[in-house]
Amino acid sequence: MKKTKLLSLLLALCMVLSLAACGGSSSGSSAPAESSGDAAPAASGDTLKIGVISPNTGNLAAYGTGIHTGAELAVEEINAAGGILGQQVELVELDDRADPTECLNAFNNLVSQGIGLIIGSATSGATSAITGPANEEEVVIIAPTATADSITTEDDYIFRVCYADSAQGAIAAAYAKTAGYDKVGIVYCAGDVYSSGLKDSFSAACAEQGIEVVATESSAALTTTEYTNQFTAMVNAGLDFVYAPYYYDVIGPYVIPQARAAGYDGVIMGADGYDTTPDYVREADAPAFNNIYWTNHYFAGDTSEKVTSFVAAYKDKFGSEPSAFGATGYDSVYVYKAAIEAAGSTDPAAVRDALADTSTVYECVSGTFSFDESGTPVKGAPVITFKDNGDGTIGMELVDVVEASDLA
Amino acid sequence: MKNNKTAQGILLNTIVIVVLFALFQALTAAFGGAGSFKLVLVPSLWQCCYLILLAASLNLVLGFLGQLSLGHCGFMAIGAYTAALLSLACERAGVFTDKSGAVYILIIFACILAAGLLAAVTGLLVGIPALRLKGDYLAIITLGFGMIIVNVINNLPFCGQDGLAQGSAAASLYKTGLGFGSKAKVTYLWIALLVTVLCVTLMFMFVRSKYGRAIRAIRDDEIAASASGINVSSYKVLTFTYSAFFAGVAGALYACATSSLSTASFAFTNAGILNSTFVVVMVVLGGMGSLTGSIVAAVIMFFVNYQIANGSWVAALPPFLNGVFKYPMLVYAVVLIVVIIFRPRGIFGTYEFSLINLAGDIRRARVRRAEAKAERKEAKAHA
Repeated sequence: MKKTKLLSLLLALCMVLSLAACGGSSSGSSAPAESSGDAAPAASGDTLKIGVISPNTGNLAAYGTGIHTGAELAVEEINAAGGILGQQVELVELDDRADPTECLNAFNNLVSQGIGLIIGSATSGATSAITGPANEEEVVIIAPTATADSITTEDDYIFRVCYADSAQGAIAAAYAKTAGYDKVGIVYCAGDVYSSGLKDSFSAACAEQGIEVVATESSAALTTTEYTNQFTAMVNAGLDFVYAPYYYDVIGPYVIPQARAAGYDGVIMGADGYDTTPDYVREADAPAFNNIYWTNHYFAGDTSEKVTSFVAAYKDKFGSEPSAFGATGYDSVYVYKAAIEAAGSTDPAAVRDALADTSTVYECVSGTFSFDESGTPVKGAPVITFKDNGDGTIGMELVDVVEASDLA
Repeated sequence: MKNNKTAQGILLNTIVIVVLFALFQALTAAFGGAGSFKLVLVPSLWQCCYLILLAASLNLVLGFLGQLSLGHCGFMAIGAYTAALLSLACERAGVFTDKSGAVYILIIFACILAAGLLAAVTGLLVGIPALRLKGDYLAIITLGFGMIIVNVINNLPFCGQDGLAQGSAAASLYKTGLGFGSKAKVTYLWIALLVTVLCVTLMFMFVRSKYGRAIRAIRDDEIAASASGINVSSYKVLTFTYSAFFAGVAGALYACATSSLSTASFAFTNAGILNSTFVVVMVVLGGMGSLTGSIVAAVIMFFVNYQIANGSWVAALPPFLNGVFKYPMLVYAVVLIVVIIFRPRGIFGTYEFSLINLAGDIRRARVRRAEAKAERKEAKAHA
């Protein structure tokens, strides 16, 4: 009896460890993380610690992976070039699983270690949990991709390198206008800040542009896997343009294939949540991926020198093309660098004052911008389309770049 | 004699609680509410408090009544949103202006009570039809309830995603409502501890009353219980409602501890440990039918979860082992498997930890173990 128990326990452990080993070797993100740690010279007294909070596990793990790998690349470059104010930079990375409570725990942990400069987090829901405490503790936060409008408006210490949802919705509406659609539909997730925020800003921008929103359908939660009814309603309303702001994990496997199966052949427009979708598409579904447009923070195929050198360095280090999350993670570190050098100090309050200067222009991979009063960049966005390569894979193409000045 | 012992037990527990609390207050004074004490220990205690209430209250339904409920976080969501909205409404009505003073504390307690009551009413409404079903069917109904409540909240304009999760609304809950910052969490920690101790006491009283005996009879044999004159369906609904009340209170504490509410935190599953599935796991882990077991399991699950995400020792592990911690869900699975293999009825089984009986329990356990050993020896000798 005792032996069987022990045996089964050992077998269970073996299974776990082997699974972990598989995961470790295939993900390819853990190994580079180690090497970047080694690259930074020791002498921890002189290192500048920057905290990174991102969802490295859970549904949105691809976002977290992008953010922390991007930040690691930036730190490696900065350290190779002599650091910031002569100090080597060290990243302290924590996982928040896109959950508010975990995000707050990670934040508290970083602050208790005396870290005053933090990059995080990926989703608006999780980031909302730390904006208030960051202000209270006087810790600077640069959110790489938290796009909800009000993230930066209430607190002095919160900044971000991405545009707000209202800008993104307005960009989508502007694109619909230029493409000549005057009747549109919306399918969104009522259970998510990001999706419902984009829906609100898109419908508001449509009203301004004189575009009529004919039909609005919602799904309940981000984990919903059934979208046929919503798109049948779009077909019945006779629409050719549907705004569907979702995340990659449902867009790839469920939303697009089911929309096409329901007989909807028109344009599906999305936002930065569509990034990394091609990795989540089943081969058989690839033909469905036409006529899909989305706005993003940057386009990897951009020919500007800044982007090409970033993409080349990232590919060289991590072996894959950087997602927009990689770009914003990378930019967050460089914005800190610029602000610390402007302030001449790594003190959080001084860095905050430097960031709050709205006249400073930051030249980043995800666009050249300066912050507005609240701490949100003023910038435009590229519109990107998916195209079926014909061999079961999906490619991306730049369609248009909407400038911030085009929106007014 | 019996009564005398109960009185002694209550006295002993009260003394221990008071001494522990005084010790903790002294610690707070000594460390000035700064550093890791403020930022790590106190928020952890807050989280432990609501997880304990959540697990213990589910144990009433799952362990003592024997009905599988998979929507417990639905009640918690109701509690959290009720408390948050009520506190914001009070602030807007001008009942309190700054977040301190007697009025504010009174409002907090009113919010916690209202959260529990509304959750209990919902529990009653759901329980009346649902508890006429048994086993898997009840599980499906409660699972559905958990999902429906999340959707209802999402679509209410004043409390959905647009209402309390986005930056400005979360900030307003943080600034003017009952969302506590790091300093306030230290100041008002006594509220969380007091509420938790009170609620757990109430649950113990329920389990040891005639109602508790009745629902255990229902769990063991429904037909026999019914034949003995126990009104099965009313007792079931009563327990369900009572359990929902404490889940609502847990929700109110959650709203205090995490000033940003999003319904994803109350879903059936999510990437964290606060979801309906994990509460069931905590109850099973601690032992179905042991409230102290649920308390211990809730603290263990919190600790494991916190250490995986934030423990500095994780990074120091060899990369091979470190890889395991990249998949937190796998670690919980291992913990559960290990416990189920070695203690199939949970860590505590149906045993209740009790200070006054501790010495006797240990003695009896030692005697039992010695007897079992002797028996095994004898069996071996015969073979």
